[in-house]
Amino acid sequence: MASVVFPSDSLGSRLRKSLPAYGFLSPWLIGFFCLTAGPTLASLYLSFTNFDLIQDPRWVGTANYERIFTNDPKFIAAMKVTFTYVLLSVPFKLTFALLLAMALNRGIQGLSVYRAIFYLPSLLGASVAIAVLWRQVFAGDGLLNAFLKWSFGYQGPSWISNPDYALYTLVTLSIWQFGSPMIIFLAGLRQIPQDMYEAASLDGASPMRQMLKITLPLLTPVIFFNAVIQTIEAFKAFTPAFIVSEGTGGPVDSTMFYTLYLYLEGFAYLRMGYASALAWVLVVIIAVFTAFSFLSSKYWVHYDD
Amino acid sequence: MTMIINRRSALLGSAAALGASALGMPAFAQEKRIRMFWWGSKERADRTFKGNELYMAKNAGTKVDGETIGWSDYWPRMATQAAGRNLADVIQMDYRYIFEYARRGALLDLMPMVGKTIDLANFDKNSVDCGKVDGKLFGINLGNNSTAMLTNAAAFEAAGLKPPTSAMSWDEYGKLCAEMTKAAKKDGFYASMDAGGLEPNFEVFLRQRGKNLYNDDGKAGFAASDAADWFGYWDGLRQTKACVPAEVQALDKQNIETNALTLGKAAVAFAHSNQLVGYQAVNPNKLSIDAYPSGGAGSKPGAYLKPSMFFSVAATSKNPEEAVKMINYVINDPEGLKAYGVERGVPPSSKARENIAGDLDALGKAQVDYIAAITSKVGALPPPPPKGAGEIAFLLRRTNEEVGFGRVKAADAGKKFLDEASSILSRA
Repeated sequence: MASVVFPSDSLGSRLRKSLPAYGFLSPWLIGFFCLTAGPTLASLYLSFTNFDLIQDPRWVGTANYERIFTNDPKFIAAMKVTFTYVLLSVPFKLTFALLLAMALNRGIQGLSVYRAIFYLPSLLGASVAIAVLWRQVFAGDGLLNAFLKWSFGYQGPSWISNPDYALYTLVTLSIWQFGSPMIIFLAGLRQIPQDMYEAASLDGASPMRQMLKITLPLLTPVIFFNAVIQTIEAFKAFTPAFIVSEGTGGPVDSTMFYTLYLYLEGFAYLRMGYASALAWVLVVIIAVFTAFSFLSSKYWVHYDD
Repeated sequence: MTMIINRRSALLGSAAALGASALGMPAFAQEKRIRMFWWGSKERADRTFKGNELYMAKNAGTKVDGETIGWSDYWPRMATQAAGRNLADVIQMDYRYIFEYARRGALLDLMPMVGKTIDLANFDKNSVDCGKVDGKLFGINLGNNSTAMLTNAAAFEAAGLKPPTSAMSWDEYGKLCAEMTKAAKKDGFYASMDAGGLEPNFEVFLRQRGKNLYNDDGKAGFAASDAADWFGYWDGLRQTKACVPAEVQALDKQNIETNALTLGKAAVAFAHSNQLVGYQAVNPNKLSIDAYPSGGAGSKPGAYLKPSMFFSVAATSKNPEEAVKMINYVINDPEGLKAYGVERGVPPSSKARENIAGDLDALGKAQVDYIAAITSKVGALPPPPPKGAGEIAFLLRRTNEEVGFGRVKAADAGKKFLDEASSILSRA
């Protein structure tokens, strides 16, 4: 490992030792510096320009940021939609994932099969195909309404093309992709020593009490991890809204996610400078959220050591 | 053409490619490659690929690669390619965008090649000039078209009614459609699509009133009350069930495939004349073509003839001569003309029209006749839309949805739309 370095080593021999490590890391390093870090820095520069994708960018100072915060009603609308999505989808998804992980952890037969089945939506979830499928299921004459009519005689609305419901179908889509937090929860549950439960039941603790006093506290690091990751993911959600609304954020901007607004500004209206500024504002928002989570974590996350 | 790639041939191919690149020479040094990029339906794709094949058969040593995508995804893709200095050599261009791209230096001035590689001798002056920006030629007009109402006449007749015509006023059209929906008595079926969010319809409506969507100075050419009347008109149609409800219209991607007429949910679509070919290709019922309803007594002509689309050449093209030769092929060569037919509009060259006249099917004839019939009745081509017009087209759709879903009253929507549009125009 590169970090284990003996003081007697010369620079040359240290380099020789760590060279293979860098060799193996190189695909990631190249990818990071060329495909991630470079464009990220470029977008920071572009956010201070009026870049329109075709002509060379011209420096405009902080004009883009000023507009975002003082004169852009669509920014506020997109924030509302995005926050609704994050605040609804993340807690529901995590609760759902945790409950299923607990159920699966009780040692039922064929666990690996169930695990695979429940994980499947997450594998497919971000894909265009699922979003297209979702569109079919929740359309006015889609599968869901056919089912509702057949079983309850209820004629449902067109869920994805009605501004009252469109966002919530996207929240449902997100909750349905509970697979990856579930797997992480499951691993976390496996880490909890069984003898604690044995000791607790000898002392007469009910299963509910065991969950509240043993499972949840010992699981808090995993809950924390999942919450941070899922919140970041939710802020960044793009594909479902793009596909389901056909890239318009409609109907009536009800699915105009922040990322979608940013995309339209940049690629449809050719205001890439402004879109870059929007992207950096999102970076700051996510960073603030994450920092807040980390600061709060010392009050509720229980680390074993 | 089907190509089967097994593992070995793929390996061989990549080995060959590697070898060639190691030697520092392109794999096909003799072959000139040009890329072509267009938007449109499957019908257009079939015709364009056919044209490319015929061209390659005639011009050994030139390879034409075609890429196609739907209208709404086309412009983001194009912008990305422009940013990456990776535009296709031959680009299908729209009247709305030609100014933006030309003024930003993304397109090649074709004037020096006119009379040499490209022959526009049989184009009338207007058909050439519409491709000019600031005196330079940036687009070759592929066909003229105009707004057109496409009707499934049989559906009206089955309901015991006469299909709508351009002789009707908008109000008469609305009344007829309300009756038709009632008489048809089919679940989820309405006479008309909801065209309140379609920019060409709104523009025709304004021009019939002697107003404009955009004035020569690039500002909005209508009053809030005009827009309020427009949103109110369609709101009335929704309430009388003359047109599809907002929920259904919201699923329309503004292309042929997702139009309510194509989906069997309506009997009238508001479209452009060249789209008759594309619509008929996916509609089992025979479609008839007519102009939009009129503005009533004393109204002005709303429609105008416009270049349906251009072919432009990217300023970054490495083979501009080849690209222009290819364009010349589809506007002048009988073979190329035949492959394209009138799917991109009626060819502007008089000689080209003579050339294809014999090959036209009933559908093509209907379109050519339609353009010939309205030519004397239409108004002048408006100035090209200002920067921000694309965003305002989105805004029109959203505002119509806001009214449709009861978020905004039609009476207030006019002012709201005008205010937002003006703010977009002043920013752009």
